[in-house]
Amino acid sequence: MAEKAVQRETVLSLRETIAQIENRRLPGVVRAAKTADPAGFRRQGEEASRNKILPLGVPPLDDVLEGGLPLAGMTEIRNAETRDAGAAAGFVTALAVLCQWRKKEKGHLAPVLWISQGLASREAGLPYAPGLKSYGLDIERFLFVSIRTVKEALWVAETALSVPVFAAVVLEIRGNPACLALSESRRLHVRARAGGVPLLVFRQAGEEEASSAFFRLQIKPASAGERPLPDGSMLCGSIGHPAFHVLVEKSRAYASADIFLEWNAHDRRFYPIEQHQSVAPQVDEQSANSVDPFSAPVDRSSGADQVGRLLAFARAS
Amino acid sequence: MRLVALDTLAERVGLKRGQGAAEARAMCPSLDVIIEDSAADLAFLEGLADWCDRYTPLVALDGKDGLFLDITGCAHLHGGEKALVDDVLSRLFLLGVEARAVISSSAGLSWAVARYGEAAVIAPEDAERVLAPLPVAALRLPAETAALLERVGLKEIGDLLYAPRAPLTRRFGSLLLLRLDQARGHADEPLSPRLPVPSFSAERRLAEPLQEEEHILELARHLSGDVRLSLERHGEGGRLFELLLIRVDGRVFRIQAHAAVPLNDADRIAALFRERLQAVHDDLDAGYGYEILRLSVLRSERLDPAQEDFSGVPDESQPLATFADKLCARFGPDCLSFATVAESHLPERAGGFAPLTDVAAIMESRPVDEKACPENRPLRIFTHPELVEATAEVPDGAPRSFNWRKTQYRVARAEGPERIAAEWWIDGEDHPTRDYFRVEDQEGRRFWLFRESLYGRETSSPRWFVHGVFA
Repeated sequence: MAEKAVQRETVLSLRETIAQIENRRLPGVVRAAKTADPAGFRRQGEEASRNKILPLGVPPLDDVLEGGLPLAGMTEIRNAETRDAGAAAGFVTALAVLCQWRKKEKGHLAPVLWISQGLASREAGLPYAPGLKSYGLDIERFLFVSIRTVKEALWVAETALSVPVFAAVVLEIRGNPACLALSESRRLHVRARAGGVPLLVFRQAGEEEASSAFFRLQIKPASAGERPLPDGSMLCGSIGHPAFHVLVEKSRAYASADIFLEWNAHDRRFYPIEQHQSVAPQVDEQSANSVDPFSAPVDRSSGADQVGRLLAFARAS
Repeated sequence: MRLVALDTLAERVGLKRGQGAAEARAMCPSLDVIIEDSAADLAFLEGLADWCDRYTPLVALDGKDGLFLDITGCAHLHGGEKALVDDVLSRLFLLGVEARAVISSSAGLSWAVARYGEAAVIAPEDAERVLAPLPVAALRLPAETAALLERVGLKEIGDLLYAPRAPLTRRFGSLLLLRLDQARGHADEPLSPRLPVPSFSAERRLAEPLQEEEHILELARHLSGDVRLSLERHGEGGRLFELLLIRVDGRVFRIQAHAAVPLNDADRIAALFRERLQAVHDDLDAGYGYEILRLSVLRSERLDPAQEDFSGVPDESQPLATFADKLCARFGPDCLSFATVAESHLPERAGGFAPLTDVAAIMESRPVDEKACPENRPLRIFTHPELVEATAEVPDGAPRSFNWRKTQYRVARAEGPERIAAEWWIDGEDHPTRDYFRVEDQEGRRFWLFRESLYGRETSSPRWFVHGVFA
């Protein structure tokens, strides 16, 4: 009996270690065992800081992100090509607006720090204050650091994360530099968790790369909706709220499909959009080229996998 | 080639200034002639002036070969005037510099005696006695005035001292009497020091030179504590600090550090220099070590003492200021900037970034003017608009497709034009007008394009540019 208890203890502690390594919330059994503190106190603060998340208001995305954007830790947002940097920058800025707004609702204005590698802001343009303002950001509290090398940018990010004043820290880098490898991203992640600051790593024109981020999202451009008219109809041919096509590349939950969002700067929140509403010819092309689903089987129960799903063979060449 | 300066040995041989180099070589075949480099001479003199900072903060350059030191109130710190002169001369001798030094009550008298006389310290009542036998050239007169005086037989200053003043002024101009009065100490002669005098400073002289960076930092922290006391007494906080390091061989290093808010906290002042030393690490050659360290406050501002309250809410400007200081100390003051909005129609003038120098300014709420931020501005903008090849259905209509960075984009939707005319009061009247379009390509990328010049009125072949990207 005693032996069994010891074994159970070992298993629990192992599970806890694994959960800590994976930055995961503890499973029920372990949590129950852990909260039963000998002194009878619950570790309130620790638990609260671990669970700080910011819901994005779009159910499919929030499900994948396990509730929302983690407010202490690193999240990576990347785009594949420089020309898509506008969309990705828009998504990152929208997250920064949400973080800043959350703090503002609590009563204090916190600045957003945008650290940009010089090359990145030369290739994709500098942040533009009037544009940021109309996007919903408080530009009175927007600080921008332009820095030459990635190493220096990492130093600035690390310093910023240890200062508990920023609503969000954005680290914009270009490509996949060797000096931001797994260990460096781990270091930043730990710093961000300790400081309780959301760190958004914005990788411009970069490949998928293993990192310590909670989540990695790829942002692709998406056709915007149209401007609504006062009578409820849409103004034909106009360009409405900015829209994004989000692909979840790294998450603990199963990322089923592509998620399409639009950002409403006035309401300062995301709204899901139905992609087939908008006019995007390349969607039609894709559906024309994809393999037709087989007809439903007669002799078996339905629910078989659709043929034509691609597994992770992208790098096989 | 002519000789401009001679060392003692060459003077003894009988060479003179202004002599031709060939003639001098003929007189003395072993002559070593070095081409004059006045910039290097000046740099050396400035280096010496820096070094003289150890005696007094008021050091002024005098022509190409002299330094004035205002030692009012400093002499007793070095054991009296005689001891001070001896100390200067012996240290300079060790540095390999042959120098002459005189202490007197006026700059003109010191100048004259250092170049033409023999004394080291002159009491104020001896001024005329010492001055009398010196040649008139010792009065810092232009060469022609000195030559004229010599021609009429007034060869020594003593000849001028008691001569009637009116005829002298009539004959030789007012400068002669001014110089004479200055040398006697009757007329005041202000020195203009090279560097501003710091309002607060603390200094440590070391028996054993320091080499290690950690030791320098530790000492800087001690000095910060000393400076802090005087800052606190005056109710001020420093904004610009300078750490002066004098190396044993006389080389002087000055390291300046800016603070984003007025500081009087020893640890934070020391932290500024920690980052600064990291940044200038390679330029700072410790050699055989530093013998004098001085921390000065070059600029200070009023700092009202703040009391911490029990609410436990931390003051946000403090950590932000610490962060800004760290960044600026390491990467320079332009590194960290904040967004600014200006009232201008031209997009590149309407928004920009300015270096963050004062954290207090940004922490105060200053609402941005709504008028300055029109709707439909891109999220990112190119510093220089990028030329694209665009085709439009009609010359003054929206583009149908464009070629940017070697890629073709087909425009699915376009909004515009938004016509922005140049600001003639800045750019002149012939600056082209721009028509801006918001376009979305077929894959959903949104760009901000503009057509430069109005078709038909300003040009017949307008050019297209990409100026920014939307989210």
